[in-house]
Amino acid sequence: MHILFTHRAFPAQFGQVALELSKRYGWRCSFLIDHISRCPEPTEEMVSRLNLYQIPLSAAFRAQKSPPWAQSFGRYLEVCQAGWEALRALPDLSPDLVVGHAGLAPTLFLPELVDCPIVNYCEYYFAPHRRDLTYRIDLPPAEPAPFFPRCINAATLASLVACDAGYAPMHWQRRAFPQRFWPKIEVHFDGIDTTLYRPQRTSLVVNGQTIPEEIRVVTFVARGLESMRGFDLFMRVAKRICRERSDVLFVIAGDEETYYGWDQLHTGQLSFKQWVLSQGDYDVSRFVFLGHIEPARLAQVLGRSDLHIYLSVPFVVSWSLLNALASGCVVLGSQVDPVREVVEPGRTGLMEPLYDIDRLAETSLGVLANPGQYRPLGQAARKWVEEKYSLDVCIPELKDYFERVGQLPPS
Amino acid sequence: MSQDPLHLLCIEPHFPGRLGAVADWLVRRRGYRCRFYCNGAEAQEHWPPSVGNGLDLIFFNVGGVAREQTVPWTRQLERGLCYAYGCWEVLEARRPRPVDVVLARSAGLGSSLFASVHLPGVPVVNFFDYFIHPHANDLADEAGLDTPPAYFQWRRASNAMDLLDLENIALAWTPTEWQRRLFPAEYRDGFVVLYDGVNTRRFERRPGSPRTVAGRAIPAETRIVSFVARSLDRLRGFERFVDLANRLLSARADVLCIVVGDPIVQRGLDVQFYRQDYPAHIQGQTPWVDPGRVWFLGAVQQEVVAEVLVASDLHVYPSRPYPISRSLLEAMSAGCTVLAWDTDPVREFLVQDQTGLLVKPNNLDAAEQQALAVLTDPVAYYPLGQAAAARVREQYAQDITLSALATHLGRLVERGG
Repeated sequence: MHILFTHRAFPAQFGQVALELSKRYGWRCSFLIDHISRCPEPTEEMVSRLNLYQIPLSAAFRAQKSPPWAQSFGRYLEVCQAGWEALRALPDLSPDLVVGHAGLAPTLFLPELVDCPIVNYCEYYFAPHRRDLTYRIDLPPAEPAPFFPRCINAATLASLVACDAGYAPMHWQRRAFPQRFWPKIEVHFDGIDTTLYRPQRTSLVVNGQTIPEEIRVVTFVARGLESMRGFDLFMRVAKRICRERSDVLFVIAGDEETYYGWDQLHTGQLSFKQWVLSQGDYDVSRFVFLGHIEPARLAQVLGRSDLHIYLSVPFVVSWSLLNALASGCVVLGSQVDPVREVVEPGRTGLMEPLYDIDRLAETSLGVLANPGQYRPLGQAARKWVEEKYSLDVCIPELKDYFERVGQLPPS
Repeated sequence: MSQDPLHLLCIEPHFPGRLGAVADWLVRRRGYRCRFYCNGAEAQEHWPPSVGNGLDLIFFNVGGVAREQTVPWTRQLERGLCYAYGCWEVLEARRPRPVDVVLARSAGLGSSLFASVHLPGVPVVNFFDYFIHPHANDLADEAGLDTPPAYFQWRRASNAMDLLDLENIALAWTPTEWQRRLFPAEYRDGFVVLYDGVNTRRFERRPGSPRTVAGRAIPAETRIVSFVARSLDRLRGFERFVDLANRLLSARADVLCIVVGDPIVQRGLDVQFYRQDYPAHIQGQTPWVDPGRVWFLGAVQQEVVAEVLVASDLHVYPSRPYPISRSLLEAMSAGCTVLAWDTDPVREFLVQDQTGLLVKPNNLDAAEQQALAVLTDPVAYYPLGQAAAARVREQYAQDITLSALATHLGRLVERGG
């Protein structure tokens, strides 16, 4: 079996999957990508074992970092054209299956070149209200908010209509798509490395110093420290905790960037992190900002966590949440549907309403007062991930799925 | 079902477009109040009578890429979004109230996409024309091996606005079953299929009346062969008509061909001749055998189209597979004997030897033979035209179809969108 994976970024959602398919089953996996990303960082093994081909985007295209929202679909088409050009220059590639990210990968024109089914990775479909970009009604409204969600799905819809099959990593993500497409979309998670992310009471060194054993560590992890992932809400909770306990250190991992939404429109020149810190009179000595960290470091951080707080709006759940669950962390999550899919309150974690700072703080303090009492939640979470989301469970399922859809006649 | 007249808000890039006649009927016959938002309008003589009498015309401007004469095809959606935004801007400024329902048509450009930003909860009904397939229908069937890849890429990308509209509306409306089937399977069940109607009073044949077209009297013994299209292009098979007409002009001295339509190609689907004078191009390749017996009327008012059709002995409809033109239904309504190229969209309306005559595309000999048979003895074929007219009266007359539309709109409003 030869799969051509395509996405703007590598490894993104496909790198680990491809590596596992290659190692476990000897499948050939090629990639048509634009750039190497840091979320997560590719391993050397990925780069050496998988065949990467770059989408030849023009310098002018790459130079435009923040195009107006109305141009999104046009830019997607330019990516599709460049992807088509790249593949045309590789006539011997002949994949048995193309797997591409719906809305980001240049799959739209590939039926003109390949004679095999095309599968969409259906990551997300934006909603006009009460989800994702528009959920934070407590923040100043952004000018594009009413318009953007009504047109940003154009690329996703066009590629979804044109593909032969699709899969989403979570049930909630599948349900985010219009119901008419649900029969076309199966649910297959891509898998968590439960060997790397495992319960381990590690000592954690930050700024050259080991965190003393008696210090309670509260962790917060996101790709970017931004409003959609509730960084500001986390800081307000942390402030309450600081008031009550002097033995807590907050360890925060994530870029000082906004990857989703329009935080910058109301923070001005400041990053969202800076904007939040400027508002709250925080004792910064109680916070450690690690910035972007690599998976091995993240595993150490989560291994030392006494409480992991995850305050996302209803949006794609972060890998870090599953990593924390796999690490046996006691997780306190926001009470929203995508989190509810992976955290069962009282069994595999805790949940409180996203905006209820009082309850979030109260529950956090309860955990920090007696971590041992809550440890069974982390143990159950670990077991849950092993059984449902581990690579050993997910990769064979994905293999079966790819084999099955590979038999479909290309449309 | 009786209901109070609704307050309708129509949106279409150009007025009257397709919805102008619909709104006009709803205003005149059902007492609706209509605000019609558009970016441009045809000359006033093409406006329906209700403008200013229940139908208010409101213009919106567009910015950005929509102001440019031509844009790269990759920016087609962006252009449409500029239309949608321009409409929203004027809605926001004027704050029209009350509005019970929005009726819109994107026509390849944005229309109602942002209307619900200003009018949350108001149901939006969109009229959908044509879902483009990369390698089928219109001119794509005939694209040669030398066709640039970008042509097919453009076709694959060009439905984006329709897809967005479909996800942002309460009801999808398309005029024919063939058009409905063009849409992805996931959307088909949600469509109302309803032709937007023929003004049958205008297209009514009065046997025995003297024939006059555009002020010129037509002798009774003259055989009129008609061709009507919005623009005289390949999509509507104009060159096919020329080939057939030349044969008929050669075969019979009493044939007069009357051609209605704009000579400039207006549909971007014909990338080769878009915005060019296609009849002039054809003339360079296939000159008329007797130009004196071919009348080019250009783009004329509906009253003149009606004169042509009620005078016609044979109406030729050689269109490629594409949504049927309004003129086909009007020709049927006028009792014409219609000779059409046999395609799926045509077959939905014409039944061979019952309501019209069908010939296989690319069989000019068969078309000529059939046409000459009609011209030799037109009366023998009158029953076809009469049956066609009856079918239009019974199924496709405005009073029938737009009554049904009004029922759909009323239900939507009752349901609350």
